[in-house]
Amino acid sequence: MYGRLLRFRLRRDRVQLLVWGLVLFLMTYTVGTEVRTSWGTAAERASMVKVMTVTPAILLFRGTPQGTSEGDLMALLGMSFIALLVMFQLVFLVTRHTRAEEQTGQTETIASTVAGRLAPSYAVLTLALIATVIAWVAITLGCLANGLPAGGSALFGAGAAFAGLSFAGVTFLLAQLFPASRTVNGWAVTLAVVSYFVRGIGDAGSTIHTENLTATPLWITWLSPIGWAQATRPWALNRVWPLALGTLLFAVCTVVALAIQDRRDVGAGVMAERKGRPAAPGSLLGTVGLALRLERGSLIAWIIAVIATAMLMGSLAGSVVDQLASAGGGAAAMIEHFGGGGPIVMAFVNIGAVFSGMLASAICVQGAIRLRQEEIAQGADAVLSTAASRAKWMLSFLLVAAVGSIVSLVLGGLVAGVLSTSASGGFHTWFWAIVWQIPAVLMFLGVVAVVFAVLPRATAGVGWAVFGLSILFGMFGPLLGMPAWTSKLTPFMHVPAIALPHPQFTGGWVMVGISVVLVAASVLLFRLRDTKPGA
Amino acid sequence: MAAVIEAHGLTKHFGRVHALDGLDLVVEQGEVHGYLGPNGAGKSTTIRILLGLARATGGRVSVFGQDPWRDASALHRRIATIPGDVALWPNLSGGETIDLLVHLRGGDTKAKAYTDARARLIEEFQFDPTKKARSYSKGNRQKVALIAALAHPAELYVFDEPTSGLDPLMESVFTRQIGRIAEAGGTVLLSSHILSEVEKLCTRISILRGGKVVESGTLTELRHLTRTSFSFERDGLTDAQLAGIPGAHDLVLDEGRVSFTVDSDQVAGILPSLGALGVAGLQVAPPSLEELFLRHYGDVVDGTPVEAS
Repeated sequence: MYGRLLRFRLRRDRVQLLVWGLVLFLMTYTVGTEVRTSWGTAAERASMVKVMTVTPAILLFRGTPQGTSEGDLMALLGMSFIALLVMFQLVFLVTRHTRAEEQTGQTETIASTVAGRLAPSYAVLTLALIATVIAWVAITLGCLANGLPAGGSALFGAGAAFAGLSFAGVTFLLAQLFPASRTVNGWAVTLAVVSYFVRGIGDAGSTIHTENLTATPLWITWLSPIGWAQATRPWALNRVWPLALGTLLFAVCTVVALAIQDRRDVGAGVMAERKGRPAAPGSLLGTVGLALRLERGSLIAWIIAVIATAMLMGSLAGSVVDQLASAGGGAAAMIEHFGGGGPIVMAFVNIGAVFSGMLASAICVQGAIRLRQEEIAQGADAVLSTAASRAKWMLSFLLVAAVGSIVSLVLGGLVAGVLSTSASGGFHTWFWAIVWQIPAVLMFLGVVAVVFAVLPRATAGVGWAVFGLSILFGMFGPLLGMPAWTSKLTPFMHVPAIALPHPQFTGGWVMVGISVVLVAASVLLFRLRDTKPGA
Repeated sequence: MAAVIEAHGLTKHFGRVHALDGLDLVVEQGEVHGYLGPNGAGKSTTIRILLGLARATGGRVSVFGQDPWRDASALHRRIATIPGDVALWPNLSGGETIDLLVHLRGGDTKAKAYTDARARLIEEFQFDPTKKARSYSKGNRQKVALIAALAHPAELYVFDEPTSGLDPLMESVFTRQIGRIAEAGGTVLLSSHILSEVEKLCTRISILRGGKVVESGTLTELRHLTRTSFSFERDGLTDAQLAGIPGAHDLVLDEGRVSFTVDSDQVAGILPSLGALGVAGLQVAPPSLEELFLRHYGDVVDGTPVEAS
């Protein structure tokens, strides 16, 4: 029975597993190629690492400096976010096969057959192990394809893959605790992002050993599975033992989760469902109230993320400038990559603003995708069978997303502005640089809304693809050596760059106009089609 | 005055599938109209068109004389619905959902008439409004939709299998509610395949098959289209005597009883001949809705369009 359940799940996920493997391979391969081509000589790599060691804000998002070989640079630039990707993959995989199935009743169907109570879980855990191995192989191949030494490559892949495995365990445990799959995904993704930043803080505050350009991160890094992945120091120290930490976390979570599962009812969670209100508060009445209520949780999380990012950028700006000034040499080249010219500090302000904008645009992408989710779950039909018109329903959800993203950027701008000193950009520059991201952010709302109106089934896929490509082209494009025209495709390249000389305001206003037109068009187009509930 | 619902030659195509294929349906003011059909006959598709959620491919359709697609939101102020598949927002409580839906229909959730009706329905349906929707069973989800539809008066009620998931006790509560609506002069379109429910509640019936209404009328009218069944004790009557009964079809002899059917409009004609034979233990049964139904569906063919839900 276990074998049959496993085959069934493998069959269901085979395309996803393949695509994930391919994505991980390409990601790794691209970073490796960039390392090989952009910083081909030891001297170039040394100057690059030197700049990074004095730039905590970059270390926050990257990793631990561990030397100047090609492999060392690869580990520094690629490990943390590739590991995060694998973690996301396993979080969604485990939730999909555990709590999500339990919620829709599939688990009950299987539980009423001859399958043992825990057989489906063993099948899911095996599937998670298989996904881990696929990730391991894909990432390792990505390194090998760039001619990196085999031992380090395998360890790099294992580090990222085991970080994912540990989160398969964490998610499996969370799935026992919460009765709703959305809550499980929410907690697991939040924990994954937290562990990314926990190691980030450890790296940003690490002790730098200038003689060999290595660093010892703060102890806090050891609290993060991504920190463990980095601790393997592939190609440098080639330590295998940190992998045991991820395995241990996976094992402990799994054992506890299986014990809970063996004792609880199918469909129940350890955390009981809280009681709701017997009647609706005035704030819920109406389509805007509904949209706000449904989006509340994720909206708050995203707004906090945007503010935190802006805060970090604003407060780090000063020290970055000081340290860059003393770093000399490679600094100019670095800024060329990350900021787009101008005085160093202003380039940094620009990066900070664009980065805040990218995070805020996720609010809009998700808000527009929510329309499709509501349509699938038939919430749309329920509302549209009342006196609420299609335009009202649609605009309510879009409005909540738009206001949410604007609020996040205004608050983020205020916080960054207040924390910066005149030497590090000043209030005015920071505030307006971040607030002027709004037109770019609203473009995402318009584009995804039109996709929803015309090709509803493609909403989520196209929505996140547009978001991902914009970030890829906008933030990492220059770093990854993509042609210049690709970065022109992202809206963030067309906002007035307040921090840089001669900001062009036309682009900003044009994008506001385009966004309004796109939203209006999406409402008109949605009125032409049937609602299509059910995936 | 125009009928509340009027559809003529209504068609709906999903690609190659013809979910509705020239459907005619008329529902008059004050009727409780049973809308019968097997799974996939097009009941839910019709309702989605009547609610403006889907657009007819061809034909004419009006609700209160207006176009349900173009004038959807204006019409919905006058309509209460229960969808065939009640889906709720998982993190809203039942009570919140009811209030929200009534408010969106244009009801005032602070009005005493509403709060009274809501409290009475919650009591009658023995419903707990404080639970989050995701923890409700199927029956309880159905109750959310029922209470939201019934707590605020409408002119037209469109119910798609409203009692699915309800226990018999709750079904009878629902029956009482339909009685109240009918007394108040409301119009009901009740899609169902529970024949006893329709037989009990509905004044008129339309039977749907393969995207067309194949029969429509009052139950009495429809009964005329079928045969009434007779049976009595044989008591030594000869085959020749039995063969002499005029208009008898499907004659069967079983354990000493004779049974046969007669066209419903011929019933009076055969009574004298039965009297002449001096039959004992005579039983006459009008056709049940089930027989009507089976007559139309007994040979359900493959290729019936799949219902779009």
